[in-house]
Amino acid sequence: MTHSVIREAPPAGADAPVTASNPRLRWILLAVGLVAALALPWFIYPPVAMDIVALALFAIALDILLGFTGLLSFGHAAFWGSSAYVTGLIATHYGVPFPVAVIGGAVFAMILALPIGYVSVRRSGIYFAMVTLAFAQMVYFIGYQWSDLTGGENGLQGVPRSFFGIELVETESFYFYYAALPILLFGMWAAWRIVHSPFGRVLVSIRDNTPRARALGYDADKYKAVAFVLSAGLTGLAGGVFAINHGFVALTELHWTTSGDVVLMTVLGGIGTLWGGIVGAFLTVTLADYLASSGFHGIDLITGSVFVLVVLLFRRGIWGTVRHRWNIRRLRRASARAGQGYSSPDGNSRHTTSGEGTGR
Amino acid sequence: MSALLQYAVQGLAAGSFYALAALGLAVIFGVLGVVNFAHGAFYMLGAVATAVLLDTLDLTLWWSLLVVPVLMFLFGVVVERLLVQWLLRLDPLYNLLLTFGLTLVLVELVKQQYGVSGLPYRLPSGLQGRIDLAGVVLPRYQLFVLFFSIALCVLVWLMMTRTRIGMIVRAATEKPELARALGINVGRWVTPVFGFGVALAGLAGVLAAPFRAITADMGNNFAIILFAVVVIGGLGSIVGAVVAGFLVGLVEAFGQAYAPTFAQILIFVLMALVILIRPAGLFGRQEATT
Amino acid sequence: MESTRKWAGASALTVTLLLSACGGGGPGSSGGDFTGDKLVLAVLNDQSGIYKDASGPNSVKAVKMAVADFRAKYGDKAVVQEIEVTSTDHQNKPDIANTKASELYERGGADVILDVPTSSAALAVANQAKNHKKLFLDVSAATTALTGAQCNKYTFQWAYNTYLLANGTGTTVTRDGGKKWTILFPDYEFGQNMTKSFTDAVTKAGGTVQETIPTPFPNENFATFLTKAGSSNPDVIGTMHAGGDLINLVKQFNESGLKDKGVELAVGLMLINDIHSLGVEQFAGTLFTDPWYWNMDAEARAWADRFLAETGARPSFEHAGNYSAALQYLEAVQAVGTDDADAVVANLEGKKVNDVFLRNGEIRAKDHSVVHDANLARVKKPADVKEAWDYEEIVTKIPAAEGFPPAEASGCSMKP
Repeated sequence: MTHSVIREAPPAGADAPVTASNPRLRWILLAVGLVAALALPWFIYPPVAMDIVALALFAIALDILLGFTGLLSFGHAAFWGSSAYVTGLIATHYGVPFPVAVIGGAVFAMILALPIGYVSVRRSGIYFAMVTLAFAQMVYFIGYQWSDLTGGENGLQGVPRSFFGIELVETESFYFYYAALPILLFGMWAAWRIVHSPFGRVLVSIRDNTPRARALGYDADKYKAVAFVLSAGLTGLAGGVFAINHGFVALTELHWTTSGDVVLMTVLGGIGTLWGGIVGAFLTVTLADYLASSGFHGIDLITGSVFVLVVLLFRRGIWGTVRHRWNIRRLRRASARAGQGYSSPDGNSRHTTSGEGTGR
Repeated sequence: MSALLQYAVQGLAAGSFYALAALGLAVIFGVLGVVNFAHGAFYMLGAVATAVLLDTLDLTLWWSLLVVPVLMFLFGVVVERLLVQWLLRLDPLYNLLLTFGLTLVLVELVKQQYGVSGLPYRLPSGLQGRIDLAGVVLPRYQLFVLFFSIALCVLVWLMMTRTRIGMIVRAATEKPELARALGINVGRWVTPVFGFGVALAGLAGVLAAPFRAITADMGNNFAIILFAVVVIGGLGSIVGAVVAGFLVGLVEAFGQAYAPTFAQILIFVLMALVILIRPAGLFGRQEATT
Repeated sequence: MESTRKWAGASALTVTLLLSACGGGGPGSSGGDFTGDKLVLAVLNDQSGIYKDASGPNSVKAVKMAVADFRAKYGDKAVVQEIEVTSTDHQNKPDIANTKASELYERGGADVILDVPTSSAALAVANQAKNHKKLFLDVSAATTALTGAQCNKYTFQWAYNTYLLANGTGTTVTRDGGKKWTILFPDYEFGQNMTKSFTDAVTKAGGTVQETIPTPFPNENFATFLTKAGSSNPDVIGTMHAGGDLINLVKQFNESGLKDKGVELAVGLMLINDIHSLGVEQFAGTLFTDPWYWNMDAEARAWADRFLAETGARPSFEHAGNYSAALQYLEAVQAVGTDDADAVVANLEGKKVNDVFLRNGEIRAKDHSVVHDANLARVKKPADVKEAWDYEEIVTKIPAAEGFPPAEASGCSMKP
């Protein structure tokens, strides 16, 4: 643990995507990702595979705020959970095909995000984290007490999985996975679009220098609020699929530990990498799944330690670190070709980071 | 009337836990710029340490009130040196994440070591029983907690205004730009201040031990309410933390009396109102809005 | 064209592989009356969270004791020789309980799932049991929904439910002279339900419930709630809280002085582990319903001695309940000679049972509630405690017919 490493802060999300200057690689990565997504339930128990993809979208949605807007929401369970409940209620009471119910849940999450976002974005940084946490706790209390609607701590049980009468999808989780996957992939695509749109660029400029963005005439609070609502909507998509996947909704989905878990996934994967969330979700879910039958009790011990270690030593996260290494290699090769020595083998210098940051 | 008075005293007694712990949170934030997510866990450790000391060394509450804060201070120093200090120059969010991870670890360790059902504790006989003040019956211990906390807050206030260290800390907390402009070096006070803040959380835990459940999870909900308290008071404000602590205690008590189900939701509603009307908190300065 | 066919061939192959990997084939594929030629009892519970002490790892040991007793009893005559007990930690997360249950049935070869604390988790597992047509014997989850609106053919509630807790305490305490009640309850499903049952029981026994006060959950500060509860001068304050909230409430009740005014505290749900952790001093005098107490008679005590040797602790009623559920399941399998769930259910339904845990037990066919005699207990004063874990004095027996709700009232319809 050397001092220089520690002091070296990667500005959240400042690394350039690997693919920024390499469109071919982008397509390769996309293809690999799609194949992995399609192959997942062949290797992992399908309901668990579904959880991984749903939580991956959750983490990606959080990263729109954390990595690209510079806002740490510690209350995203409110949107995940409330969408799960609304999805479950719509599916139970109206018997509509599950994608319709999921969209209903996502819309509700966005509606809920409006007032919460409106109030929360008035404070940024640390305050934002605390305020969102407090609001989420409020939603949790309401969910607990309104048991006529939510079933209280019994949960909302028996959520049907209706899908145009196609029985295989409705009963077999293996086929359900493929029916629900497009919704989640759409969510991920939407996140990517948001981040790479002009709107996303304004968000980044607000993150990096709010006064300057304001001076340029952008209403920073409004942009943040919109980002918050969009993030909540994508979170809602993921939460809705999660609810249908399990066939019930429990209050855990609204609990602050769920907010903490998703922050962990995002940080573990890499803040501001977007796709890092997939890695984070994969590791977290498989770990919990493995520990359930391992005989080791105390998952929080591992989770918490990983959190501490990642924050202290690998702030780029897994995806971020891989990307960073790749970029260094690429730069080194490029500079070798140009006949210049490139002398930062481990890439610790801020020069490297900021140099690439402009390549976005 | 007597009922109102009783609710008020109960609210203030409950508020004194919030006030003490929030004071610690505010001081740590002021000097280090760190929002300590683990504050609830430190509160829990204070209570657990109190119970363990009674069990193993037969140390009564009186001793615990002295010993536990010292232990927690040392623990805080270790945590600061080992973990927190490395992230001080970065975005404060990293320290929030670090202390969140630390919370998970501490809670789990206590669960592994002391189980999940909680630890026993008994009150020294001097603090048992009740006092009847013109029809208002109050447990002795609640009054003790109330007066002890107020005395401690006053003491801290005197320390902040009368001693050199205190003035440096206060300057750093409440007017960081000015402190820097005057060339005051807060660097060497960082570690002890963190320890001090942790000790205050631990002390709140000691006071909680006799009449709250001493479990590994006791700090979780507490920490979240604490966040609401400092947002209401204004993070950069020492007075604000204390006043908001007592205020939230009162809101909780009257909420329990007149709108029982909403007792805790009311706290968050209050927080939302404060953000809308005075974003910097009741006692925060507007420019402290980050 | 070529590539499509290849892909189809590959998928078909993989499907075959996958199918053969799940659960070791369907019924009949192994040739015997037991899938995979063995019996798998899967304990699914909370081994790391708040229910760890009351059930947790020691329930796995209790189930293993049942298997050992079954082997000792039948030896070579047992219809199945290979019996496996597996342990899964749902980490107190309902979604993990749900997927694990489904995976245990589908791929773990589980014939029966036992225990499952936390009502949302238990209800989800019950649903999985129904879908997979395999057994689920609930021990630790108390919600009446399991034997009511959400009951199903493959789910049994073995030890207790919220109605028993409320009804037992409410009826018995009122009959013994506690006529005026104030009830404090956590404002969620469990609390709301129990308050209803409690109020009914108290009224039926000739008492009155003056006030019911909801409290938020979780909650640490009960001072004002208690002041409010005491202001109507009740004989008894009934509380529906559990776990940490119960401890908070009891501590603050002791502080409040209501005890000295002669107000009794009656608790809905309390586990011996709560008393053990906090000491009898805190709880002394508290009344509560205990479905089973280790020192209630010689038979229970003899088993508790074995359990103590095995685990180093005295059993809670949930440990004993798991033992009983596993044992009766094995007996049923022995009787029908197969692990076929429908045959086992048919054997269990309507059976009258007596064992270490069940006294005057009956496995009701109508709603799959396993009813039995329970106890109203009072926590001993520190001076009366004679040995470790000797915390309870049995005030009176609550006969099965009185404690449990009548089957007709359950609202359960067992349509497949």
